[in-house]
Amino acid sequence: MKKLLLATSVLALSATGLAGSAQAEVKLGVILGFTGPIESITPTMAAAAEMAMSEVSDSGKLLGGETVTSVRADSTCIDSAAATAAAERLVTSDNVAAIVGADCSGVTGAIANNVAVPKGVVMISPSATSPALTTIEDNGYFFRTAPSDARQGQVLADMMKDQGITEIAVTYTNNDYGKGLADSFQAAFEAAGGKVSISVPHEDGKGDYSAEVATLAATGSKELAVFGYVDQGGRGIIQSALDTGAFDKFVLCDGMIGDSLLEAFGDSLNGTIGTLPGNDGEGATKFLELAKAKGIDGSGAFAPESYDAAALLMLAMEAAGSTDRAAIQAKVLDVANGPGEPILPGELGKALEIIAKGGDVDYVGATGVELIGPGEAAGSYKELLVDGGKFTTVQIR
Amino acid sequence: MFALMSNFVFVPALTYGSQLALGALGITLVFGVLRFANFAHGDLMAFGTMGVVLITYWLQAHGIGIDPLPTALLALPFGIALAVGASLLIDRTVYRFYRKRRAAPVILVVASVGVMYVLNGLTRFVIGAEDQRFFDGARFLISAGDFKDLTGLDEGVTIKLTQALTVVVAVLMVAALFWFLQKTRTGKAMRAYSDNEDLALLSGISPDRVVAVTWIIAAVLATVAGTLYGLDKSFKPFVYFQLILPMFAAAIVGGIGQPIGAIIGAYVVAFSEVMLTYAYKRALMYIGPEGWGPEGLMQILSTEYKFAISFLILVFVLLVRPTGIFRGKVI
Amino acid sequence: MSAILTRTRLAYLGIIVLLLLVGVFQSWSVALVMINLCLISAVMALGVNIQWGYAGLFSAGTVGFVALGGLAGVLISEAPVIEAWDVGGAGLIYSVATLAALIAAIFIIMSVMKPGTARRIVMTCVILGGYFAVRYFFDPATDAIEGVNPSAQGFLGGLGLPILLSWPVGGLLAALVAWGIGKVALGLRSDYLAIATLGIAEIVIAVIKNEDWLARGVKNVSGLARPMPKEIALQESPEFIGWIEWLHSGALSTVTGDERIQMLRDFAQQDAGTFVKLIYMLLFTVVLLILFALAQRALNSPWGRMMRAIRDNEVAAEAMGKNVTKRHLQTFILGSAVVGIAGAMLTTLDGQFTPGTYNPLRFTFLVWVMVIVGGSGNNHGSVIGGFLIWFAWVQAEPAGILLMDGLTFFMAPDNPVRLHLLDAAAQMRPLLMGLVLLLAMRFSPKGILPEPIRTAR
Repeated sequence: MKKLLLATSVLALSATGLAGSAQAEVKLGVILGFTGPIESITPTMAAAAEMAMSEVSDSGKLLGGETVTSVRADSTCIDSAAATAAAERLVTSDNVAAIVGADCSGVTGAIANNVAVPKGVVMISPSATSPALTTIEDNGYFFRTAPSDARQGQVLADMMKDQGITEIAVTYTNNDYGKGLADSFQAAFEAAGGKVSISVPHEDGKGDYSAEVATLAATGSKELAVFGYVDQGGRGIIQSALDTGAFDKFVLCDGMIGDSLLEAFGDSLNGTIGTLPGNDGEGATKFLELAKAKGIDGSGAFAPESYDAAALLMLAMEAAGSTDRAAIQAKVLDVANGPGEPILPGELGKALEIIAKGGDVDYVGATGVELIGPGEAAGSYKELLVDGGKFTTVQIR
Repeated sequence: MFALMSNFVFVPALTYGSQLALGALGITLVFGVLRFANFAHGDLMAFGTMGVVLITYWLQAHGIGIDPLPTALLALPFGIALAVGASLLIDRTVYRFYRKRRAAPVILVVASVGVMYVLNGLTRFVIGAEDQRFFDGARFLISAGDFKDLTGLDEGVTIKLTQALTVVVAVLMVAALFWFLQKTRTGKAMRAYSDNEDLALLSGISPDRVVAVTWIIAAVLATVAGTLYGLDKSFKPFVYFQLILPMFAAAIVGGIGQPIGAIIGAYVVAFSEVMLTYAYKRALMYIGPEGWGPEGLMQILSTEYKFAISFLILVFVLLVRPTGIFRGKVI
Repeated sequence: MSAILTRTRLAYLGIIVLLLLVGVFQSWSVALVMINLCLISAVMALGVNIQWGYAGLFSAGTVGFVALGGLAGVLISEAPVIEAWDVGGAGLIYSVATLAALIAAIFIIMSVMKPGTARRIVMTCVILGGYFAVRYFFDPATDAIEGVNPSAQGFLGGLGLPILLSWPVGGLLAALVAWGIGKVALGLRSDYLAIATLGIAEIVIAVIKNEDWLARGVKNVSGLARPMPKEIALQESPEFIGWIEWLHSGALSTVTGDERIQMLRDFAQQDAGTFVKLIYMLLFTVVLLILFALAQRALNSPWGRMMRAIRDNEVAAEAMGKNVTKRHLQTFILGSAVVGIAGAMLTTLDGQFTPGTYNPLRFTFLVWVMVIVGGSGNNHGSVIGGFLIWFAWVQAEPAGILLMDGLTFFMAPDNPVRLHLLDAAAQMRPLLMGLVLLLAMRFSPKGILPEPIRTAR
C-alpha cells in the first residue's frame, strides 16, 4: 500500500514536471537577496540581468523571435531554507529554463546542492566568489561569472608587490567572501615576502566602525586593504578611516569598486588602487553606457557580472537551439570561450544572429568572461587607480 | 598620545554614544511610562528618518539649503511630524487595546515585534532597501592636517561637522527633555505616572495625555537620533534595526526607566566597544621609552566581539546590579 | 471540548488543502519542499511553546539554539581533521585546563575570602591574569589549526559519525547552553529576560561566526553528509533506475530507442529529487510525532498542571511550595533542547552549516509569530502555526508580486510607480508578517487553536 502511494505520488510529480517542459515563452529565473543583508545591491544586479533579457527580446532573434521574461525570487542571502523553497518554485512551478544567481555563497551552495544540480538546471552566479564552491559536486550545472577569491587574492598580492607595499592592514567583511579573500590574499602576500600587520573583520549592516578603524590604525601601517561591499560595512570603514585621517590610501577588492564610493568621497580617494574582474575596458565602458541609458547604476557591485550571467544563458540557449535545460548546460562553455567572434554588451542580437547561422561566438561581455575548469571565470583583473576622483584602468593582470 | 587617543577613541565614541543615547532615551521613556520594552524603536527611527531623507531630496532638488549645515536639518521637522503621527496612530490602533485590558507587559512586547515588522516593511516599501546618502554641507570642522599644522603634533585629530552637530544636538535635546520632565506640568505628570500609575490617576492625571506625550517625545528623539546617525554615516533601513540591540543594552545598563541612566549607559556601551577592542600598541609606544614597542598589538579583545561587548556588559550588570547603574524599575 | 477537537481537525484539514493547492498551482515538488520546512518550523514552534505556552517565559534567544543545533550537525558528521589536531590539539587542551584552573580559583576565592573590597581586587586580578594565561595557550593553537588548508578545512573537524546522530546531540548541546543561560537570566522580569536572551543569542552566534577552528566560522561548512544517498548518485544507481523503469513502465513502453533513454533520464531526475524529499519528510514526521507525543504527555501530567499554575499565578504557586525558578529553568532547558533538535534537522536538510544564516528576525521573532498565531499553550496550535506561518513567509513573495502586478495592471509597463512597486514586492514579507501578528493578537488573542480550558473532574 505504502509503495503504491509512493509510486502514485512520484508519478503525479513527474507528470507535472514533464508537462511543464513545453513552454510558451522563455523564462529565466533571477534569484537574488532582495531582502536581507545585501538588499541594497541586489536591485541593481537584477536590473542589469533584466537589461540583457530585454535586449535579447527586443532583438527578436532568440530561437526565432522568442521573448525572454525574468522571474524574480528572493534568496534572502542568508536563509537557505527560504532560498531553496524559492528556487524549487522557480524550477518546478515557473519552469524557468535556467537561473541567474544566487548571490551569497551560502545560499548559492544550498540551491546548487538541493535544487539546481539534482534537477539539472544551469545556474550562473554573478557574485558567489567563495573558493569552496569550486569543488562542489555540480555535475557541470553550476557556473559563475565572478572568479573565485583564491585568484583575486593572488592578483592583489602581485599588485601590491609591484607598488612596493610591504606591509598592510586588512579588513574584510565577516562572511565567506571577505574571509576567504582575506585568507587567500594573506597567504599570497606573505609568500611574496609581504607582511599583513593585522586582519580585522567587520560586520556588514552594523552601526559604527570606529573601533575597527582605531584598531587598524594602531598597527601603524600606511595602507589599508578593504575587502567588503561598496554599499555596506566596507564604505563605513573607509568613511571612518578618512574621517579620522587614519588612512588615505586604500586597496580595494571587486566588491568595493563602485561609483557610489567616488560620489561619496571623490578626490580624497586619489591614489587608491583596486582590482575588478575584466580584461579590457571596452566591454565595461559599453556596459556602463547601456546601463546609464536605462537608468541603472552600472557600476554597482556585481551588476556587470549579472548582465553577463543572463547573456551567457541566452546565448547558450540559442546555441542549443532549444530551451531544454540539459542542452543549455552543454553549450555554456562554448559560447563563453573562444574561438569565435568576440561579443560585447549591447551586441547580443548580433551574437544570436551569428549563432543561428552556425557561427562561433566568444562572449566577452562587461567583465571579460572566460570560463575555466569547473565553470568559473578565469579571472583576468583590471588594476584600477583612483585618479582625479575617477577609476582609471592601469593595466590588466 | 593624547591626540591619538582622542582621535580614535574619544571623538568617535562620543559621537556614537550620543546617537545611542538619544535612542536609548526613547526606549527608556516608553519603558518608564508604558512599561514594556519597545522592540519597534529602531524601525521607528528608520521610519522617521525616511521622512527626513525624502524631504531633504526634495529640498536639494529645489536648491534650498543652509550651507554649510546639512539640508537635512531643515527637513527634520517634517520627519518628526511623520514619526509622531505614526507612533500616535500605532498607539491608538495597537497598544491602547492592550493597555486598557491591563495585559501583561510581555504581550505588549510581542505586539511591538509586530509593529517592528510592519514599520520595517513600510519603510523599505516606500524608500527601498538601498543605501541613501543625504548629507551635504561642509565635511570637516578640523581635519587631521589642519590639526597637525595648528599644534605641531605628530598625530592628527579630526572633528567632522556631523560629529560636532551630533553632540551639540544631543546635548540640546537632552537639556530640553530634562527641563520638560522637571519643570513643566506635563513632564511632572509623566514622572508621577511612571512612578506610581494608580496614585497618578487618583490625583487627576489624564493617562491618555501622558501616554500621547510619551509617544511624541519618543518619536522626536527617534527621528533626531536616526537623522544624526544617517548624516554621520548613511541611511539604510537594515542598520536601524540592528541599532536597537546596543540601545537596549544602554538603557538597561543605565537603569531602565531612568533618563539619566540611558545617557550614561549609552556612553558606557559606546566607550567600552571602542576601548576594549582598541589596540594599544601605538599608544604604549608614546608612553614607553624611545624606540621601544610591544610585540603584539596589545588588544584586550579582538574586534570580532565588538557587538558582543554591549551584551557582555549587560549580562554583567544584570548579574551584579540588576537594576542598572541608576536604580531603574523594579525587576 | 469537542468544539476544540473539530476546530483542530478543521485546521489540519486547512493546512492539507493549502499544500494541495500549492501542488496543483505551483508544483508538487514545491509542495514537498514546503512540507519539509513546515515540519521543521513546527518542531521549533513546539519548543518555543514549551517555554512560552507552558511557563510564560519570553525567551528571545531562539536563534542561538537553532545555531547550536546546526553546529552539532558539523561536529558529529564531518570527518576529523587529524592534521589540525596534531598542530593545535595540545594547545587547546592546555587552554581548557587553564580555564578550568581559573574557574576553580574563582570558586576557592569565593569560599575562602569574605566579601569586600579586598576580595573584589583579588578577584579582578585573578580573572585578568587567568584571561591572559588562557589566551597565551589558546591563540597560537587556534592560529595553527586555522592554518591547516584554510580554503577547505582549517578546523578541527567532527567525529565522522552519521548525521542523524546530530539531532539528539544538537538537542543536548542546546540544553547544556540553555542551562548556563537560564542560571544567569532566569529570575529576571519577563521583558528583561527577553532582552538578556536576545543578547546572549547574539553572543552565541558571534562565537560560532568567529571561532573558525570550531566549525570554519563564516567560511561555512558545505557538503555535509546526508542520511540518504544524493540525488545525483541515485540517478546513476542501477537499482534506482530499475525501480524507475518499473514505476513508469507504462509511459516508457510507448517509446523506444533514444527517446526512451531521454524519457528515462527525465524520470530519474524528477524522481530522485522526490525520493530524497520523501525520505526527509518521513524522518521529520517521525521526530515531530515523537516530540509532540512527549510534549502532550508532559502537558497533561501533574507536572504540566504545575507549570500552568506557575504561569498563571507565580506568587500563588510559590506560596504553595513550588520552586518557581527551578521549574522555569527546567522548561527553558526543555524548550531550548527541542529548538536545538530542529536546528540540527535544518542543517541536515540544507546540507551545509552557514553561521551567517542565523538572524533573529527569521529564527526568533518568526517562530514567535508561529506560536502566538497558532495558539500558545496548545501543542496542536504550535504545529498549525508553524505550518501556516512558514507557508505565508515563503508564499508572501510570489503573492506580493501578483498583488502588485494586479494593482498596477492599468499602468504602462514602464511606469515608474509600477516598477517601484514591483521592485518592492519582496518587502511585502515583513509587512505581511507584522500585520498577521498584530491582527491575530488583537482579534484572536488565543490563536487559531486556543488552549483548552481544563476543569477539574
